[in-house]
Amino acid sequence: MAANGVLSAEDLRLYFRTNKGPVQAVDGVTLSLRRGRTLVVVGESGCGKTSLARAILRLLPRNVETYAGHLWLNGTDIMALPEERFRREIRWVRLALVPQGAMNALNPVIRVGDQVAEPLLVHGRATSLGEGRRSADEIFRQVGVPLDFADRYPFELSGGMRQRAAIAMALVTVPDVVVLDEPTSALDVLTQANIMNVLKAIKRDMGTSFILITHDIATSSEIADDAAVMYAGQVVEVSQAGDFYRAPLHPYSQALMASVPTLHETKALGFIPGRPPSLIDPPRGCRFADRCPMRFSRCSEEPPLIRVDEHRQVKCWLHA
Amino acid sequence: MSPAGADDILLSVRGLHTWFELRRLGFVRVGFVRAVDDVSFDLRRGEAVAVVGESGCGKSTLAKTILGLHLPTQGEIIFDGRPVHGAADLRWYRARVGYVQQDPYGALPPFMSVQRILDEPLLINGVVHPAERLRRIQRILDEVRLTPVEDFLPRYPHMLSGGQQQRLVVARAMILEPKLILADEPVSMLDASVRVEILHLLRGLQAKHNLSLIYITHDLSTARYFCERAFVMYGGKIIERAPIEDLLQAPRHPYTQALLAAIPDPDPANAARLRDVPPGEPPSLLHPPAGCRYHPRCPFVIKGVCDVDVPPDFEVGAGHRVGCWLYREAREGVPATDAPERAWGPAPSS
Repeated sequence: MAANGVLSAEDLRLYFRTNKGPVQAVDGVTLSLRRGRTLVVVGESGCGKTSLARAILRLLPRNVETYAGHLWLNGTDIMALPEERFRREIRWVRLALVPQGAMNALNPVIRVGDQVAEPLLVHGRATSLGEGRRSADEIFRQVGVPLDFADRYPFELSGGMRQRAAIAMALVTVPDVVVLDEPTSALDVLTQANIMNVLKAIKRDMGTSFILITHDIATSSEIADDAAVMYAGQVVEVSQAGDFYRAPLHPYSQALMASVPTLHETKALGFIPGRPPSLIDPPRGCRFADRCPMRFSRCSEEPPLIRVDEHRQVKCWLHA
Repeated sequence: MSPAGADDILLSVRGLHTWFELRRLGFVRVGFVRAVDDVSFDLRRGEAVAVVGESGCGKSTLAKTILGLHLPTQGEIIFDGRPVHGAADLRWYRARVGYVQQDPYGALPPFMSVQRILDEPLLINGVVHPAERLRRIQRILDEVRLTPVEDFLPRYPHMLSGGQQQRLVVARAMILEPKLILADEPVSMLDASVRVEILHLLRGLQAKHNLSLIYITHDLSTARYFCERAFVMYGGKIIERAPIEDLLQAPRHPYTQALLAAIPDPDPANAARLRDVPPGEPPSLLHPPAGCRYHPRCPFVIKGVCDVDVPPDFEVGAGHRVGCWLYREAREGVPATDAPERAWGPAPSS
């Protein structure tokens, strides 16, 4: 599983130190993002999906216990880079992030246009603020922020405009990959549809590759080319969007899909009894086994990611 | 829907206005935020109604006004045939209305055990006998399936999962055996898999106790599984009300149509198309536009009508009423034909 695609994670691990023991937030994640495509990572709260975003960008808190594995970006293992080189050459140059909650992601005392131009100045792509602002204006046009908004402060913008500004800030350096962490979860329905339109247009016009991390399955289908499902720190299913939204393979993905209410078609809704396991001391076998309706004896061993066909992998003994 | 008899109506809201005064320097009145602006409806016994709208449309203010947490600027709330006016009415009324908050963790006092949280409403409402209180607490915990009950009584909110916390909030809302439950986005903070469980629970309780239910939400797809009728709010007003399937199959108001068109179902085909989204943003409630509040964004706006007069409700079907000038002739049974060319999006269904 080496460097195919623009970004690949191989056995990525991120454990946090707590006084009850290490929390295995990201536990052996292997994923691959192909150029110009969008990989959607869906999962429920506490499954480690935001930690995955942080692990990819190496934005780590102080209590990291383990940070290991490989991250291949265009064939280079960026995990091997020292922190300073990573900061100078990778983060926000080749890999950018649209963090969760654009309200909090913007500095309240800096004009939006200046904030968006800042990455250019920091990374030496612009020599003066004026030059940076001209590139920022270009990005603002693409994400649909009116240019006279660039001189405003974040609190003067609506939620949708702030989210667009956060997206602009991630795109201004023209990175290879943008990680979007719940970009629309705090927004209204119409604004959400608007932001998804913006992302689709950017994908079409700029060819940016996206990793979209979300709990919202219906909205994720708006932009997905490939999909991965996370459960209890692990990826349990990887497949192409067409297969995933129509017929997911893992029992957890199936139950999750059955719990999504639909507006335009009628179906019976299901839910998943029980709760996800603790990430401090996860069960030895399949982590979903306790809640799984299809459990059998073999589930007490941990299943590998089993390749079902060319594009689908699933971490479940049913498909062995 | 047949005109319901007076006995059948549990809650009647008449011309409700909740305006917030805005002052500068503490005393100069600048204006009013018209969060709820002339809302009227009747709620029958045992009926579940969804109030749907985007943030800032006034739906939460409406909820809080109905709960008596905001005093209405104008208008009246009649509960069980009795107008709710003074403090005595309010006390009587609040014991009969349950409130399920949006954020369960924020709604539960962190320093109280499950037993105390449920004990307090009973104490305040004069259930003096401790054994009686305990019996009622056990019964309600059993109903919301926080079982085994004895395990849950001494726990604190942080020891419960999100779903369990929301069950506890439901239990607290139910403990005084109310006739009306007001749920303000009860599942929006929960994960998809837990969400359905809580909706099932509320639905079951509602059927079992013949409760009326007002479900405030921005999410039409959950409302569909849950409610018989829906009200769509925009800019502080109810702009369309209909049986929920009618609303989903044949939305009439251009705003409702836009809202429905913007909500995706999980479908890989979504990635291949852009969605129609009306331009602009919801109106300021401080200076709402004249006439119909949606007219600046509306593709069918009729100049000289929509931007001048506030549309009344027009009856377009059984129990289906819409506040939109496009349907002004529907009253005489003639569909409106002079709708101008629209600026964007699909044609209206009529």
